[in-house]
Amino acid sequence: MILALSSLLFFLQAGLPKASPPPAVFEQLARQAEKARTSDRLADAIRLYREGLKLRPSWSQGWWWLGSACYDQDRFPEALEAFKRFIAISKTDVAPAYAFLGLCEYETRDYKQASEHFRIWVRKGLPGNAQLIDVASFHWALLLTREGNFVQALFLLEEKAKKYGPSSLLAEAMGLASLRMKNVPEDYPPKRREMVWLAGQASVYGSLHDFDRAHEFASRLIAHYGTQPNVHYLQGTIYSFEKKSVEAAEEFRQELRVSPDNAQAMIQLAFIALEDARLEDAMPMAKQAAALEPKDALAHYALGRVLMAAEDFRQSAGELELAKELAPASAKVRYQLARVYRRLGRKEDAERESAVFETLKDKVEVLAAPEEKPTGTPEQKGKTK
Amino acid sequence: MIAGIAALLLAVSVPGPIRNSLPGTQARSFEQISRAAQQARDENRDEDAIRLFRQGLKLKSDWEEGLWYLGTMLYEKERFDEARDLFRRFVGQNPKFGPGWALLGMSEFQTREYARSLEHLRRGMTLGVGDRKHLADSVFYHTALLLARFEQYHDSLELLWQMRGAGQAESLLEEPAGIAALGYALLPGEIPDSRREMFRLAGAGTFALLDQRREDAEKLFDKMVRQFPQEPGVHYQYGSLLLNNRPEDGVKELQKELEVSPSHIPSRLRLAEYYLAQSDSEMARPFLDEVVRLEPKNASAHMFLGELLAAKGDNSGAIRELELAREQAPTRTKIRWDLLRAYQAAGRREDASREKMEIEKLTAQQSGKP
Repeated sequence: MILALSSLLFFLQAGLPKASPPPAVFEQLARQAEKARTSDRLADAIRLYREGLKLRPSWSQGWWWLGSACYDQDRFPEALEAFKRFIAISKTDVAPAYAFLGLCEYETRDYKQASEHFRIWVRKGLPGNAQLIDVASFHWALLLTREGNFVQALFLLEEKAKKYGPSSLLAEAMGLASLRMKNVPEDYPPKRREMVWLAGQASVYGSLHDFDRAHEFASRLIAHYGTQPNVHYLQGTIYSFEKKSVEAAEEFRQELRVSPDNAQAMIQLAFIALEDARLEDAMPMAKQAAALEPKDALAHYALGRVLMAAEDFRQSAGELELAKELAPASAKVRYQLARVYRRLGRKEDAERESAVFETLKDKVEVLAAPEEKPTGTPEQKGKTK
Repeated sequence: MIAGIAALLLAVSVPGPIRNSLPGTQARSFEQISRAAQQARDENRDEDAIRLFRQGLKLKSDWEEGLWYLGTMLYEKERFDEARDLFRRFVGQNPKFGPGWALLGMSEFQTREYARSLEHLRRGMTLGVGDRKHLADSVFYHTALLLARFEQYHDSLELLWQMRGAGQAESLLEEPAGIAALGYALLPGEIPDSRREMFRLAGAGTFALLDQRREDAEKLFDKMVRQFPQEPGVHYQYGSLLLNNRPEDGVKELQKELEVSPSHIPSRLRLAEYYLAQSDSEMARPFLDEVVRLEPKNASAHMFLGELLAAKGDNSGAIRELELAREQAPTRTKIRWDLLRAYQAAGRREDASREKMEIEKLTAQQSGKP
């Protein structure tokens, strides 16, 4: 996947700023470097770009192509430096370079910096061609998992499963996120590999709605790792995809026997109970989940919904406002807020939330902070267009 | 395995053209450093050598001998990430030098960059590693492990069989063969302790079968099935073996496999193949349809469907299926032969002669393989 990126670099060339008129020796070097690069003599190209950049450090195209040639050769520390220089001296079209910074930093295992640069790239509207977006968003998903943002990671990975079908790399990534393991594929204990693989296969097939196969892998997972956290939760999630709420609830309850503080299982149980109008079951689950995960938008959303059903509109509004704070681009949060404001007689607030809902309702939804949303906020999308 | 490779690296020298490419007009300080580095290496003063090679590379970043020897020394010391970065630079300058790719791939194996490792090990295999047998063995071994981890079980088994045929110790290959035979995307180090015996039995049985020791294979598979009756893959192994001598028992075992793992494709293909050999297309057909549903691009399923339709006299249907099979597996000569016959039966002479030419070409290529 990474090696395939070479072609996208050509695609990005057009918008690069032009260097000021160089002396003859520089021009000759630049020509030689380009010739070496386009004839796939990348080691020569790297040497020639370096020579050219010694003569003219302000040569932004030179930094870009040096970075890309080093990247193509998996020489990530050098690529990283080159892309940093490119960003520092270029005035325009630097946005895709942030994705490359993130990728290089991922490869050099500077995960914190990689995350920061991917976040900048996402905020800029995920610029680049399809290949760059695929590779960078895949790695971004790996880092989201490592940071504990499992839902967002799975959202990104499910999109890839739908686009490309099952693959080993995808299964490993989805396995880690599904089991809520804060790891990247390179650093989790080898003895957990089978568990991750089985969970990943179940998740991939689940996201493809091939539920027979998803359950087959989930059953294998449960047979050997049923006492591990999040295993029953995953099985419950697959049942939820199938709208089999009875079976799903049983798996979520089983999950709580294994890991009594699993807020996600509680949230799902609260939703199922709410659906069945069993408020006495839904309320304690939603309350406990929100207490356990005060930064989880979904937990506050669930509690807000349950409180609304119990006609405690004031408290419901408070919970939904918390959810909105944590996930401002969530259409469903805005929709429920508009409803509860109406019930409270707060007409203006209700109208405002309804208006926002109208702008968000057709967007892909994942309850996440705006910078973590793969499609960006509506405002960002507008700018990209 | 790592310790074993460390020793062999000392025997891997930089290729002649690269060694000789060091120009004689280097700055004196670089010459001195490179000589001192070599001397330290020859005298096994590893830390001195490492320091000196690094100094030399600071002065001359594309110093190929420095990249190579420093890389191999760091590999020996199990400093794989540092070795990897040096080998990456080295292969960038020497893309045709197989041992460079081989050592890069093995470094990446150790840093758990498995996708890259597999790609680079394969490149090393394609380019060759000369007469360095230990290095070749390591490359084959690690490639086979990674193929299984990437769910390319058939290719992994083929490689392990080749290694076994070339005299590799069976004890080293048993677990990897078991992993590939049973279809688990694991490395040997990732096998759960409670089921290590299952993989060993599967591997030993597979090799017994390969050696035509059918009785031994049956005993091993029987033991595996008794000990691990609920594990995916075990009934398939046993059933496939039994199908040849005791077909009724073989069919039962394969059916059991489908109870344990309902989406098991090899069991369906094996059953379909068996029924086709009995000219029982009614029994074969549902298994093939199921495979196509589960895996629409499965070449074997389309090939068997083509054979089935040809046997029924449905030539255009057969050609359609066989062309689909060819699309997925263009180098499988059996598919080409089936197509040749189907084209002939349909009176499509030009297509038939083109297939014949392709078969001849493929046969020549395959016989030229080592």
